[in-house]
Amino acid sequence: MADLYEQERELEDFFQAARDTAPVPSAALLARVLADASAQQPAPVAAPRRGIWRRLSGAVGGWPALAGLATATLAGVWIGYAAPGAVGDLAISVWPGGGVAYDVVDLIPSMDGYLTEDGA
Amino acid sequence: MAFDAQDEVSDEALLVLYGNGDEAAARALTLRMTPRALGFAMRMLGDMAEAEDVAQEAMLRLWRVAPEWRQGEAKVTTWLFRVVANLCTDRLRKARGVALDSVPEPEDDAPGAEARLLAASRARALDEALLTLPERQRQAVVLRHIEGLANPEIAEVLEISVEAVESLTARGKRALAAVLAERREELGYTDG
Repeated sequence: MADLYEQERELEDFFQAARDTAPVPSAALLARVLADASAQQPAPVAAPRRGIWRRLSGAVGGWPALAGLATATLAGVWIGYAAPGAVGDLAISVWPGGGVAYDVVDLIPSMDGYLTEDGA
Repeated sequence: MAFDAQDEVSDEALLVLYGNGDEAAARALTLRMTPRALGFAMRMLGDMAEAEDVAQEAMLRLWRVAPEWRQGEAKVTTWLFRVVANLCTDRLRKARGVALDSVPEPEDDAPGAEARLLAASRARALDEALLTLPERQRQAVVLRHIEGLANPEIAEVLEISVEAVESLTARGKRALAAVLAERREELGYTDG
């Protein structure tokens, strides 16, 4: 009767033989498993398609920036149409009497004598 | 093959990649995991057709669990062996008595055939001896000595303590040695 050590060594021979003859999956089994894998696999997480407007808005900084741009554009159009009247009113408001003829103020009246020839 | 590039990637990372829709990960996992599932199922059931069904079913469950898989939670092999063990238990309960004849007889006439025949005979004798063990002992011995798992991982697979695994493998090996001792001469061993 083999002793315990010998028994262990012999058993290891059997285990080694079993490891060496491990069953290999057939091509048919692998194909079935792969087919299941394809059927169960979630769709890849694709990046959403981005249209021209979405890309443009991304380029200038998104919707807040676009809103700013739109406001500035509208303001420009409004100023372009409405400006003549408004600018006139503004000029009057900051410069009262801006519409009338200017008075000439003689700042150095004593100079008149020097500027006229022969005291005329 | 294209799968070689995936060799460095862990099983867990491959499963997460699969869950994200990576087709190459599906192929790599199939080639890596199917032989493990099939090998364990074959040793447990002793029938190739049944073992193939179990391997396919276990892999199907793996594909289904993939989207919820969290890296670091568990090892894929541990999870897979547990599923295979449970599927085999279900089948063994349904059909008591396993067809020992289903293990194919080795046939080999090529040079060096004698050594290979001897190894094949021993593997076959072991398979037959394994099928005489109680189911839990068989699971523990196969996972420890053929699949090469460490005791703590086997404990996780079988959901028992490490001490219980040690006890199962020790008793299983004693029983195997007793069965195989009767066939020592036939399997190339001589006393003395």
